[in-house]
Amino acid sequence: MAKVAREMVEKAGINVDQLVELLVKNASAELTTYYYYTILRCNLIGLEGEGIKEIAEAARIEDRNHFEAIVPRIYELGGKLPEDMKIFHDKSACSPAKLPKDPTDVKAILIVLVEAERCAVRGYTHICNMTAGKDHRTYGLAQSILNEEIEHESWFSEFLGEGPSGHFMRRGENSPFVSKFLK
Amino acid sequence: MKEFTEEELALYNGKNGKPAYVAYKGKVYDVSASFLWKDGNHQVLHEAGVDLTAAMKQAPHGEEALDKFPVIGILRNRGMPSASS
Repeated sequence: MAKVAREMVEKAGINVDQLVELLVKNASAELTTYYYYTILRCNLIGLEGEGIKEIAEAARIEDRNHFEAIVPRIYELGGKLPEDMKIFHDKSACSPAKLPKDPTDVKAILIVLVEAERCAVRGYTHICNMTAGKDHRTYGLAQSILNEEIEHESWFSEFLGEGPSGHFMRRGENSPFVSKFLK
Repeated sequence: MKEFTEEELALYNGKNGKPAYVAYKGKVYDVSASFLWKDGNHQVLHEAGVDLTAAMKQAPHGEEALDKFPVIGILRNRGMPSASS
């Protein structure tokens, strides 16, 4: 644990135990999403599905990166991951992004993807609101993840015909905002 | 439709296998089936068995988040006579 780092956050008025639990829940959401997106990506096939496969893959890899980026902050603040993976799964801040009953229904897969991203956008906005001006490191991390989650939402939203987002798919490396936390 | 006082609502806190009910703008919703209300806790900060009307203003989602849950009763205001009285 980073003792002084935790103390500074406590002194700023944040309930650190609550914050840590929230970070664990979001770490779970990232890792479980990585898992469920693997299944979704595998099923994005055919004339409709292939066009979406690449952004689903980018979102999948970036969600795994988010997990990797959040975990050190949990331990710095004196928290830890559950020892039991099943408990960790069930703690997720977002519902499981499960494959729809009809795995050939690409629109239904897109709805699962966009709902997962929207849950993440809400979650990190909440963490940003909670930590702004108080816990600079968690804020910076959550804000970087939020930037990527908003882009993921935009990609899938466009495919659902919800209008243009002004974004383009990744060019170059994944996680342009979060990569600084992974080095 | 069943009427709940705040004290009655508090019994449905989702703990130890109990159903998880929450109130919003006078309606009581059953959120027991929600993955996001496991053990009567929602995103660390909110517990079932209470009126969340004020808390919703700070939430990163709108009231539409409750649309998918069944309304199973109404929350009786303090001082309001019950339907049976």
